[in-house]
Amino acid sequence: MRLDNLALDNCLKCSLCNTACPVMAVHTQYPGPKRLGPELERMRREGLSTDTEWVEYCLGCHRCDLACPHQVHVSEMIARAKAEHRKPLIHGLRDWWFARPGLLGRLTTILPALSNFALSLKPARYLMSKLMRITPQRKFPGYTRPNLRSPAISGKQMQHVIFFPGCFIRYNRPDLGKVVIGLLERNGLAVEVASTVCCGVPAIANGAAAEARAVARANINVLDRQAGSGMRIVTACSSCGHMLKTGFGGILEDDGRFAGEAQKIASRTFDLAELLMEQSDAGKLNTNFQPANLRLAYHAPCHQRSQGIGRPWYHLLRMIPGVAVEDLDAGCCGMSGTYGFKQEKYTVSMDIGKELFTKISAARPQMVATECATCQMQIEHGTTFKAIHPAEILLQAYDERHSG
Amino acid sequence: METNRYDVVVVGAGLSGLVAAGVAAHRKLKVALVATGAGSFVTGPAWLTAREIRQASTTADLGEAIDFFCEIATLAGCPYTGDITTARFLPSILGDFHSVALTPLTLWNAEPRKGVTTAIVGIRGLSSFDENFMAERLTEQARLIASGCAYTARQISLSRNMGVPVTTLRVAQCFDRDPVFREELTSALRAAASGFERILIPGILGLETSAEQIAQFERELGCQVSEIPTLPPSIPGLRVYHHLESYLHKIGVELYRGFPANKVEIQDGLCMGLQIASPGHPLNLRCRSAVLATGRSSTNPLGLEYAGCDQQMRPLNSTGSVITRNLFVAGPLPHSSDGDHGNAMRILTGYRAGSLAASTRGNHAA
Repeated sequence: MRLDNLALDNCLKCSLCNTACPVMAVHTQYPGPKRLGPELERMRREGLSTDTEWVEYCLGCHRCDLACPHQVHVSEMIARAKAEHRKPLIHGLRDWWFARPGLLGRLTTILPALSNFALSLKPARYLMSKLMRITPQRKFPGYTRPNLRSPAISGKQMQHVIFFPGCFIRYNRPDLGKVVIGLLERNGLAVEVASTVCCGVPAIANGAAAEARAVARANINVLDRQAGSGMRIVTACSSCGHMLKTGFGGILEDDGRFAGEAQKIASRTFDLAELLMEQSDAGKLNTNFQPANLRLAYHAPCHQRSQGIGRPWYHLLRMIPGVAVEDLDAGCCGMSGTYGFKQEKYTVSMDIGKELFTKISAARPQMVATECATCQMQIEHGTTFKAIHPAEILLQAYDERHSG
Repeated sequence: METNRYDVVVVGAGLSGLVAAGVAAHRKLKVALVATGAGSFVTGPAWLTAREIRQASTTADLGEAIDFFCEIATLAGCPYTGDITTARFLPSILGDFHSVALTPLTLWNAEPRKGVTTAIVGIRGLSSFDENFMAERLTEQARLIASGCAYTARQISLSRNMGVPVTTLRVAQCFDRDPVFREELTSALRAAASGFERILIPGILGLETSAEQIAQFERELGCQVSEIPTLPPSIPGLRVYHHLESYLHKIGVELYRGFPANKVEIQDGLCMGLQIASPGHPLNLRCRSAVLATGRSSTNPLGLEYAGCDQQMRPLNSTGSVITRNLFVAGPLPHSSDGDHGNAMRILTGYRAGSLAASTRGNHAA
C-alpha cells in the first residue's frame, strides 16, 4: 500500500468492520479489524511501535473491506502489519513453507505417491505438529504429478482465453483444470494454460511480502508474454481471481512499470463463472444441459465475494434442469487457506465454521458446491457432506452419461 | 436467464434503500440491491420519533409506508411496536427521554411508569454505559414529565474476559453464539433484578436474536426487560438491519455488497443501467428502473449534475429539467436542506421511490 494513500483518513471509526469480522465473532480477545487495521496504521505512520501477535489471527477474508461504508482497505493495512510482525522462530519456519505452495507443490510432486504416503502417516503428522505447529487434526490434500497442458486448438474462428490455474489445480487437482478447459471449450473458447507460478495470496497471508512481490512480478512477466494481445485471463480458484483482480493485492502500487501492468491484468481477469455468465447475457452460453436430479447447497467463498461479481455460480447451477440450489449465506468457513492448518488457530477456524456446518446439516444437500479448494476441505472436515467445485457439476450436466 | 438484468436496481442499503427493495420485491419483480456497507440507520436506535412522524405526516401515504415497513419488519423477525398516532417517552444512555412513536419490540417497555420499580443494570467494564448517571438523570427527568418513576442503578459482573474495553458488540456476539454465556448473563441479571418489576439494560441481546428468542429470555429472567440503545454500532439498529437484509436475500433480492455504484447509464432520458466499481473491471447491471438511496455523504453516481428532485422523486439538474424519467431518489437525497429528517422520512421516501420504480417499465423490452 502506498504511504501517501489517504484512504486511511476515510476511517471514521464507525466499527462496522468489526461487526463483519468472523474472527471477532468467535474470539472474545481478538481486537478486531478497526484496531488492527486503520488504528495501528495511523501509529505506524507516526513511527510508533505497533507490533502485536493478533495481526496473525486475521483471516484475510476481506469482509471488513466490504462492510466499510467508506471503502477503507482495512485488511490491506492488516496485511502490512502482518508483514512487519516478528514471529517466533517455529511459526516463522512453518509460515515460510505455507507462503510458498508453489515450491511445496514442485517438491512433493517429484514423487507424489511417496509424498502423499508420508504426509498421511501418523508419526509424520505428529512430528509436523511438534516441530512445525501444523495441526494433526487435518489431512493434507493429495498431490498429483502436474500434467495440465494447453489443449490442441481445433477451431480457427474461436476466441482465445488464457487459464490461470493456481497451485491447487496445478499440483493437487489437474483433473479439475481439465474440467475448466472442457467447460470453456464447450462454450466456444480456445484455452491456453498459463505457465504462471503461485498467485501470491498465501504469501500475503503468511506475512511474506517480498515473496508476494516476487511471484506477482513473475506472473506479470508470464502473462505479458502469453496473453500480451489483450487476451482474457480466466481463474477458477476464487483466491487467485481475487489476487489478479485487485492488482496483485496492491503490493505493486509503488513498483514502476509493474504497477501499470498489474492494473491491465486486473481489468482482463475473469472468474470462470463470471465469464460464462457474460456468455449467457450475450446469448452465447451453451445451455445444452441434460436434466439431473440433484439437490445442492452453495457456499460463496470470501474471495468470491470480494471480487464484487454477484453470485455467478449460483445462477449457473440453477440453469441445469432438475437441480435445486440453496445459497447457504452462512458467512466465512474459517479455513482461509493455510490458516486452518496452523495448530494455534485450529480452534478459531473450526468455531468460525460452525454456522456454515450447522446450515449445511440443516439443508441436507446431496453435496455442497463451492469454488474454493480450502472451503471444500473445511466443509468436508466439519461435516459429513461432500464438497466439490461447481465447474464439475456444470461439465457433467453437458454430458448425458454422467448426469443424475 | 440473463443474470445482470433487473427490473429494479436499488443503490444504498440504508433504511430507505431496504424499504424500496422490499416494495419492489413484494411486487414479484427481479430486484438488485447495491451497497457499500450498511448505511447510517445501524448507528442509531432504530426507532421513529414523534417529531419525525409530525414532520412527515403532511403527506397522505405516510400511514401506508409505515404499515409496509412494519409488515416486512415482522416478516423479517424483528417486529416493531407502536403506531403513528401515539407516542411514549423512551430513555437514552444520556439519561434523557425521547418521544417515540414506533420502535423495535425490545426497546418499547422502557418508558417511565408510575409506581413500577425499575432497575438500570450495567455491566462491569462495559464502555459508554453508566447506570448510576442514567438512574440519577432519568429519575429527575421522570419527575419533570410528572410520571414519578424512580430508577435504581445496579451492576453485574461477568466472568468472561471480553477484552478491553468491553463493547456492546462483543457482548451481543457472545450472546448470539454461546449458550453458556447466555446462562451466566441470565442468572446475573436475575439476581440484579430481584426486588424490581422491570429492568433496563444496554442493547446487548444479540445481533441475530429473533423476537421469540427475546421473549424466551424474558421468561427465563422472570421480569420485564428492555434495551437502551447505546453508541454506534447500536445493537438494536444493527439487529434490525441484519434481519431486513437476510429477509430481502430470502425473498430473492440479489445483494451486491462492498463496491459503490459509480455511474448511471442514461440514454434519451432513460436510465439503462448502473455500473458497479468492482475490482479489476466494472460490473454492469441493466435495469428497467432504479432507486438512488445513497445518502448525502456518499458519492452520488449521478455526479455533479444532480440538483434535487421533483414531486415524482425524479432527479433534476441545475436548470430544473428531469435527468432521467425511470430513476427515483430516496432517503436524505430528496431534501436539499441539512438537518436530520429521521427514519420516518426515510421509510416514506423509500416506499414511494420503490413503488414508483416498481410501476415504471423503463427501458429494455422483456
